[in-house]
Amino acid sequence: MKVKPVASVSVLIILAAAVLAIALGATGYTPSLELRPLAEFYLKHCLNPFKKEYWAASPEAVTSMLWDYRGLDTVYETTVFFLAIIGSVAVFRFAEAALTSYKEAEKGKPKAEEGLSLIVRVITRIVFVLIVALSAAIALHGHLTPGGGFQAGSIFAVAPLLAIAAFSRRFLEELGLTKNKCLAIRTTGLLAIALIALIPLAFVLMGFAGSFIIQNQPKPWALHPVFPGFPVNLGPIWLAGTLILFNIAEYLTVASGFTLLFILLALPEEFFRRLMGK
Amino acid sequence: MMEIIDYALWLYMYSVLVAIAAVAIYGVVARPNILKKIIALTILGDTANTFIIFIGYRLGSTTPPIITTLTPTPEQISAFVAASVDPVPQCLVITAIVINMAVTALLIFLAIQAYRLYRTLHVKNLARLRG
Repeated sequence: MKVKPVASVSVLIILAAAVLAIALGATGYTPSLELRPLAEFYLKHCLNPFKKEYWAASPEAVTSMLWDYRGLDTVYETTVFFLAIIGSVAVFRFAEAALTSYKEAEKGKPKAEEGLSLIVRVITRIVFVLIVALSAAIALHGHLTPGGGFQAGSIFAVAPLLAIAAFSRRFLEELGLTKNKCLAIRTTGLLAIALIALIPLAFVLMGFAGSFIIQNQPKPWALHPVFPGFPVNLGPIWLAGTLILFNIAEYLTVASGFTLLFILLALPEEFFRRLMGK
Repeated sequence: MMEIIDYALWLYMYSVLVAIAAVAIYGVVARPNILKKIIALTILGDTANTFIIFIGYRLGSTTPPIITTLTPTPEQISAFVAASVDPVPQCLVITAIVINMAVTALLIFLAIQAYRLYRTLHVKNLARLRG
């Protein structure tokens, strides 16, 4: 391989700069016995019933930061996710026509020939159910145990990938996971996130001054009457206000978004070629 | 003696991460194949995420940042703060991983489309083609 001088020199410069930055203490005081003040604040207040003006009502510090303290940041990251998937769908704009011609060609074929061997198919059926159940549990318990919407959606995304490899695209279609349904579920999830984020603003119109976007719990220093906040628990079930709602909405968004991408990627190549005249 | 070994291991981890990042940057900049550029980009993203998680490590604490009771006493909260790792890097990384995955998917879709149109993934050949 020919060594390219510009690339090698730039890589060397980046390497030297990174080593110098770390040597000069760019990473702060790691490893350390102390926490950074910001982290200490989050840990101290995420579930502090004695200081309810700062709490997020969730024992999980990461989720309470993700959807409460740093909520706007996460919403913007969801927007990036939305744009990436919309971009992928736009690039594959031939997919609809390819899908139709693919379905027509598939009609005559006997069904039993699809997929890998019997052992793989049986195991995949079992694992498919387990993956979906696990991802749902992680999403619904995201405010209590490690996990949340992003994690659960990423775990769910493995299931359609496995099904496409072991069976075929038709398996997903028989389950009801078609391209348009995935788009619809994803859009519903995104709309739910936007609506939950905007509910406190609707309260402003009703006279509850001092509430803000993605507010979870009431803030006592706000002007009276104070925004009541989302319910912390429903009887014995801990809800943690908006956190469980955001987690479920994000789960639907991420899971259906990745399923959509895998459905598009699994379209057979020859149909695209035929359509594009190549 | 143990402190010196600890510090040496720590520096070793940092240098490994920086070296992987350098290799990944080289791959993105210098490899002509778009698929290899994408692979290098995912390696770069994962290295950055590992680096951020690494910064969040706290000496002597192995507790995840989760309170194990829903009705904590002040003593339990201060014990939790004293034992838990830094939650901020974990929070930053979890969104970054998913966004990284989605952006990689978008790049792969673009690469597939480019291959369908031009029958090549070599950057130089792609640049020569017009229209």
